[in-house]
Amino acid sequence: MNDLKQLAFQRKNIMAFLAAASLLKGIATIGQALFFVFIADRVFLQNAAFESLLPLFGGLFAAILLRVMAGYAIGRAGVNLAADVKNEFRTNLIKSFAENPLLSAAQGQSGQKVSLLMDAVDEVDGFFSKYIPQMIQTYIIPLLLLVVIFTQNWTTGVIILITAPFIPVFMAMVGKGTKKKADEKMEQLNRFSGTFLDILQGLSTLKLFGQAEKQQKAIRKSSLSFRDSTMEVLKSAFLSSLMLEYISMLSIGIVALEIGLRLVVFDSISFFTAFFILILVPDFFNLLKDFGSAFHTARGSVSAAKQLGAELEKKHSPLTWGNEAVAPEPPHLSLEGLSFQYGEGFELAPFNGEIPPYSQVAIVGKSGSGKTTFMHLLAGLLPQSQGHLMINGVPRETVSEKSWFDQLSYISQNPYLFAGTIRENMEIGANRQVNDKEVLAAAEKAGIAEMISTLEQGFETLVGEAGRGLSGGEKQRIALARAFLKKPSLILFDEPTTGLDLRTEQILQASLRELQKTSTVITVAHRLHTIKNADIIFFLENGKLEAAGSHDELLQNYGPYKEMLAVQQGGGVR
Amino acid sequence: MNELKHVLRLTLIEKKDVAIAIFFGFIAGAASVALMGSSGYLISKAALTSHMTTLVVMAACLKLFGFISALSRYGERLYSHRATFTMLSHLRVSFFDRLAPLAPGIFGKYRSGDLLSRIVGDVESLQNFLLRVFYPPVVLGIVFLSTIFFSSFFSMGIAAVMFIGMLLTVIVVPALFSIRKRRTDGQTRAKRGSLAIEATEFLYGFRDLKIHQQLNAKEQQLANDAVQYNESQRKEGLEENLAQSINSMVALLVSFFVLGVGAYFVAAGELNGLYLAMLVMISIAAFENVAPMAAFPAYFEESRKAAVRLEEIVAEPAAPRGTEQLPEGPLDIKLTRASFSYPGEKKAAVDDVSLHLKPGTKTAIVGPSGSGKSTLMQLLLNVFPLDHGQLSIGGMPAEKLQQESIWQKMNVVLQENHFFYGTVRSNLLIADPEASDEKMERALAKVQLELFPLSMAVEEKGQNLSGGQKQRLAIARALLKGKSLWLLDEPVSSVDSLTGQAIYEELFQQGKGDIFVAISHDLAGLEKMDQIIVMENGRIVESGSYQELMERKSHFHQLKQVENSVFA
Repeated sequence: MNDLKQLAFQRKNIMAFLAAASLLKGIATIGQALFFVFIADRVFLQNAAFESLLPLFGGLFAAILLRVMAGYAIGRAGVNLAADVKNEFRTNLIKSFAENPLLSAAQGQSGQKVSLLMDAVDEVDGFFSKYIPQMIQTYIIPLLLLVVIFTQNWTTGVIILITAPFIPVFMAMVGKGTKKKADEKMEQLNRFSGTFLDILQGLSTLKLFGQAEKQQKAIRKSSLSFRDSTMEVLKSAFLSSLMLEYISMLSIGIVALEIGLRLVVFDSISFFTAFFILILVPDFFNLLKDFGSAFHTARGSVSAAKQLGAELEKKHSPLTWGNEAVAPEPPHLSLEGLSFQYGEGFELAPFNGEIPPYSQVAIVGKSGSGKTTFMHLLAGLLPQSQGHLMINGVPRETVSEKSWFDQLSYISQNPYLFAGTIRENMEIGANRQVNDKEVLAAAEKAGIAEMISTLEQGFETLVGEAGRGLSGGEKQRIALARAFLKKPSLILFDEPTTGLDLRTEQILQASLRELQKTSTVITVAHRLHTIKNADIIFFLENGKLEAAGSHDELLQNYGPYKEMLAVQQGGGVR
Repeated sequence: MNELKHVLRLTLIEKKDVAIAIFFGFIAGAASVALMGSSGYLISKAALTSHMTTLVVMAACLKLFGFISALSRYGERLYSHRATFTMLSHLRVSFFDRLAPLAPGIFGKYRSGDLLSRIVGDVESLQNFLLRVFYPPVVLGIVFLSTIFFSSFFSMGIAAVMFIGMLLTVIVVPALFSIRKRRTDGQTRAKRGSLAIEATEFLYGFRDLKIHQQLNAKEQQLANDAVQYNESQRKEGLEENLAQSINSMVALLVSFFVLGVGAYFVAAGELNGLYLAMLVMISIAAFENVAPMAAFPAYFEESRKAAVRLEEIVAEPAAPRGTEQLPEGPLDIKLTRASFSYPGEKKAAVDDVSLHLKPGTKTAIVGPSGSGKSTLMQLLLNVFPLDHGQLSIGGMPAEKLQQESIWQKMNVVLQENHFFYGTVRSNLLIADPEASDEKMERALAKVQLELFPLSMAVEEKGQNLSGGQKQRLAIARALLKGKSLWLLDEPVSSVDSLTGQAIYEELFQQGKGDIFVAISHDLAGLEKMDQIIVMENGRIVESGSYQELMERKSHFHQLKQVENSVFA
């Protein structure tokens, strides 16, 4: 909670404004009570004429306006504070995501990150829009009221000073108890509340088994169990606010008794003072109670803030780049002890090897052997932990990012299509103005032109989120079209693992043959002929480069390669 | 309000809790008004006399009203929340009852994965209907009316001022803000949607963005959308703050005018000055309760929208279905020139497909992803109505048959099979509520899950099971059902091939005279099938036995060649 408070106090202007507005609100509250009592006293005891009261009414009206305006200003400042802080959180999150989300994407955390950006940030709102303004008010206004009460009738002040501290003490005590109870019931509550979703998700299954009718009862039963468990938790929460009301009621009662005694028996204070205090004291306790409920809101924000803090504190190792331009032709790549390690988890042992221009490289290995991480290192998408990737004899860190990526295409098994038209998705490869003819030619080479022509909107068809869904093969062909528009000199290609889409299969082969004429192609290979035709085969196992060489070399010198082929030749096992 | 009629009806099923909550709410409100009123009266009285009795009565009143108010508030909270959760239960059951007949067709229509969680979210958000939409104006209205009634004994003028104040705070101001809200409400939601899309694109498309050097532009766009969403939220917050401030201003002005009118009448001698403080205190106390009305517009809009969205989903009439039952004995399935396209798509997902499945035969359907295999399966299940063509089962046209009676004859294993929170036993009993433990264990053994105890816990969606385990459990469930039409959609795609083959053997052995239709993700082990259907682009491009297809050296043969060269 302190971290969040710090965030608020860093915004000194808003906090000063809140304090000033609270002070005004306090003064207005006192002024309002004062004029009320003035008027009542004049009319009731002094039989004043109505006209003589008009200035007092003017004062009362002004006090009310001031109170409302101060209250409005406080609320406004709270909303603005919350919006500013949320903005800062989002900006920082986006920055942190941009630094290196590839690792988390590999760990399947992308969805979690989206919800962090959307929901967790929203949950922080209550702390700043409700709790902080209430806190500032509670620091200032009750104190102000107490000072006034002391000046009017110091015994009342003493009574309040003795009874009021019971409120926070009690609140903390009961709050703890409630939290414990809620924690105990949490699992049960989650389960009950999940039942409805569970049954809806299984509705097709239930229908197919003819069991849907019976589930009504299950829903009712779990809903009612949810109700009863929740009520138990709520009961103790309600009980705590009941106790708070009792405490404040009790001290108001004591104050009233004391005032009454002085007014009736001792005649030592006036009606004016008595009435004045009687109006101010409930205001004092109301503020404390409001703070109590705002505290409750704040608790929800704290756990969201913790998640955000954990994400923002994660260490990033951003990639560094230089200024040297890479010549627009296939580069000579050398791996000099290139290695990678992420946290405690996955690691790639130091790699050494050469990839001459225009060569065809096949990377083979079981799933989990580090093929994709290796490709990401080669593409300059992940920072190596040690060693160097030399490009035409200079380390990758010294070449310019733009000239490097200008040369590169990456065709993954599941390329991402952005929300936009098919044409936009193709043009993203070119990074320059392209005319219709070029687009059509690229689509034809990628074997997607025919499919696009059957679409009502053709190249202008919307795809991606909220657009038309495309099959995996279609997406890959669009990625190929991107490559044809871009004309890269280095292609990283993730060969499909399933072999059923014949047409895509044929197109990919033909297209790659064409692209190979002008570029180096590094393939994560799953096809026998791709591997056989490669100039160099990198054989990976458990994050280690176990062997490198051509098909014939490996066949002669490296046993596991031969075994792998033999298993495949056995055929039909899978 | 029309949209919320159904919700209101469901709320009022549990009349008792709602009535008790309203009663306690009224008592709590009235007692706090009485508390303030009596203290105002007694302090005035005390100023005039020096009787101890006044003091005693005053202290007693304070205590009494104070405790009544606090206790009733407790009761009010308890019963209103109880009523809310009861309503939620009715709401879920009623929604389920209306949704069930539409499944599973409706899930195919809304091809969006989050439909269900959206439904659940909308149902949950309706819990605010009772607590924050329906209840506050009702209770406030009653408290106000009785306060006004009481005041009218002392001064009609003051009663009139209070009445106007009530109209303003309970009806006019919330209504005005509700109208404003409705005009702007779509914006925040839309901005939230586009931010979520941008964030998803940014994270999932990171690699492609980086390589195509669009990352910075996209980051900028994302940051921009975040700011816009935030601004929209800020506007909403400011709007609520404005409503809150105007409401409290009206409340304070009411006490101002009560004092003004009261002072005027006292000065004119038409009202006893003794009552002035009391009436002012009453107005302050009564209008202190209007704070919840500031949040009314937001909750009202939210409830209304949720109700509308839920209604949209269940409103559409279920397609007319037949009522006849399937005959007993072996049945055949015949699909003649069937076509089907998903709503809003021009291209047919299944295009002019004819099939005949005879009892005792085994058919495999193969083809690339997106070729219409699973849609064809849904058509055989009679989930979607055909656009053209005819499906007949056991010689009877499907549209004359009762849907449930078709499913009753089928053992279905889908690509995604749902498992409920519970145990292995409870999930198997869905197939056969009367099955003995022994029978279930036998079924588990047949899918090589004999190591699973029946009492083993199954988490939501079977999270604690691997993909292969889930598939095998689904097959065990189908085995328990023991019908003669098997429809299997990639049933062993996550199981290793040896086990997969063994399970198929087991199935074929158990169902010798049955019909088997299996969509297959690979081409291994298809030699045992009587018929192989190769699909592409929604059409059947080739069919025949394994032998025939291999000899023809066309599609299937090529597919087989590619598959042989793939290292998985």
